[in-house]
Amino acid sequence: MSSRRPASRQPTAVPEEHATNGQRNSISLGPNDRLVGELYIEGDLRVSGTVEGNLEATGDIEIAGGGKVNGDVTAYNRLTVDSDASLIAGDVRVARLTVADGATFSGKVSMGKPAKKAPERTAAPAPEPVPEPVVEPVAVAVEPAPEPAAVAAAEPVAVNRAKTARPAPAKKSFQKGKRR
Amino acid sequence: MDVQEATAEGAASAENGEVKRDGKKQFSMGPQDVLEGKLIYDGSVHADGRLEGEVRVTGNIDVANGAQVKALLEGSNVTLKGNVEGMVTARDKLTLGRNARLSGDIQVRRLQIDDGATLNGNVRMGDFEQQASGQ
Repeated sequence: MSSRRPASRQPTAVPEEHATNGQRNSISLGPNDRLVGELYIEGDLRVSGTVEGNLEATGDIEIAGGGKVNGDVTAYNRLTVDSDASLIAGDVRVARLTVADGATFSGKVSMGKPAKKAPERTAAPAPEPVPEPVVEPVAVAVEPAPEPAAVAAAEPVAVNRAKTARPAPAKKSFQKGKRR
Repeated sequence: MDVQEATAEGAASAENGEVKRDGKKQFSMGPQDVLEGKLIYDGSVHADGRLEGEVRVTGNIDVANGAQVKALLEGSNVTLKGNVEGMVTARDKLTLGRNARLSGDIQVRRLQIDDGATLNGNVRMGDFEQQASGQ
């Protein structure tokens, strides 16, 4: 059993939209290779090493030999887990799935239509920030206006009445005293 | 356990639905048969036709191609070739054949999925006794 077979590198049918140089893109991780993180590939992926993270491929994913994958796996076409390989996943979204006897496999498997989650996220951003700036300038403009108006109106009236009230009886008393 | 595995394969000629093979009982359904309810059986079951409810057996469960099953299935070796809706527990091995369609959570010790099979559900794999006692 050779660890590397050329089968996955020579896909039989290559759709033209996936082809770059007449061949589909392909990544192979050997037994001593390790990937930590997230990988998206337009093409095929073959894992014989260790992957900690999420994988997404537009073609096939093969977990071969002693390959170990710990993370979500999405294959638009086909996922193969060989007998010595291990896949511990949260979500597995694939069109076709092959698991060999002896493989370690766990996770939530979804096969078929992959477009369920997309429409849920587009709904309802919050409309709150619109009324806040409208309310604030109105309250600020109304509040200071009556205070100076009341003070300005009250003070001159009181002063005018006091000035006009004082000389009036004095004039009357002088006039009365002069006439009598 | 070895004897049970040996009785798993082979089309049993039905005698009242029950056939003894190597001293082990097998309950066998035909493509026109219908079973609704709960079956707890000390032996193996070959399911065909329509099956609804719950099936718990000490031996193996074998769902034929074209069968319609809506049931909880529990057995040592479970081999599915038909359409199954419901939770499946295989104390040893679960095999999904190329025409199998399974929607439901599965709990297995060993798992084999052939190319062409369809699976929708949660897969839990490990030592059966530990997981059962843990719940």
